[in-house]
Amino acid sequence: MQTLEIIWTFFKVGIISFGGGWSTVGIIKNEVVPNWLSETDFRSLIAIAQSTPGPIALNAATMIGWEHGGFFSALAGTLAVVAFPVMAIVTTTLLARRVKLDKLAINESLRTGSTAMMIMTLWALKPSSADPVLLALGLGAFAIAAFTKINALWAILGSGLFNALAGPAVRRLLGIGG
Amino acid sequence: MKTKTPVTNDKPLLEKPKDPTPAGLFWLLAKINSVTLGGGYVIVPVMATSLEKKGWMAEKDFYDIFARAQAFPGPLALSSALLVSLRLCGWKGAVAAFFGVVLPPFLALILVSGALAKIGSLPAVQRFLEGAGAVVPGLVAAMIYKTATKRAWTVLRIVETIALAFVLVFLPAYSLPILLAAIAMLYCIEGPCKRSK
Repeated sequence: MQTLEIIWTFFKVGIISFGGGWSTVGIIKNEVVPNWLSETDFRSLIAIAQSTPGPIALNAATMIGWEHGGFFSALAGTLAVVAFPVMAIVTTTLLARRVKLDKLAINESLRTGSTAMMIMTLWALKPSSADPVLLALGLGAFAIAAFTKINALWAILGSGLFNALAGPAVRRLLGIGG
Repeated sequence: MKTKTPVTNDKPLLEKPKDPTPAGLFWLLAKINSVTLGGGYVIVPVMATSLEKKGWMAEKDFYDIFARAQAFPGPLALSSALLVSLRLCGWKGAVAAFFGVVLPPFLALILVSGALAKIGSLPAVQRFLEGAGAVVPGLVAAMIYKTATKRAWTVLRIVETIALAFVLVFLPAYSLPILLAAIAMLYCIEGPCKRSK
């Protein structure tokens, strides 16, 4: 039955996955935390999803499915998250000449919607610990992603490696338990 | 400097571009989606240049389609690939594109998940994941910053964005119906309703 729940959850996510990966992440979080995984695990999962090939919503569906029911759930979750988007494209292509929507208005309304969704994502994923090392890594990533053209992947991997290799030493230097 | 003779078509070395086929689309998209890390905004420009290099679609045409793809739900990489392939190869192309986009990440994530199940409990791996996860809020904030600075803001749009964000934050359980209603409403405010006055 877990597989059915995975399918339903990610099908719903697929319906409102507008505006590129990040706006959808908050919605995914609302659906899966804390039932299926903890907040910390979710954040790591998103970091992995962002540094592996493919769209973030798809990656999240595959991983969460895998953890809850194995290969079959992973496959089901992945297909479920793209089911509605594919149907939407198929339907509009078939109806192409019958439905006339105002393109500009669609784009502007989706922009407003996806910005609000991203704000919600940020709120949902706001740092949960006051650990100064992790906060600094987050701020560094913001600077890199907002003001440089460096692929965010490097911020993710660099930050992970830094915390894995130097994290304990730095925390000892700062005098906090690590 | 650039006083070269104009490029002519009778250059024998220039390979004539092959016509797009479903199989060709599948391989091209599968290749892009296996090696391009970092989500839609990274994949889309790569798609644009690869399609042009293949001689299948001019970049400008691609970005026209991409603009349309943004109006659809779902990952941008998927919706633009589907629309492009529909244009180039019809329904068969779209099916090929679907698998080209979905299959590589799926297989990659199965591998990653399998590996994590084995080594995920090691302290160093835990710290890696914790460090990687710590950048996520920073990346989201950066994406908001970038979208916000590019937007043509009006007072109305600012109010709408903030109001919707508030509602979403405080009623997480209802985010889905709220969003569907909100987008319909925003569409009406931006378009038909404004004009009918």
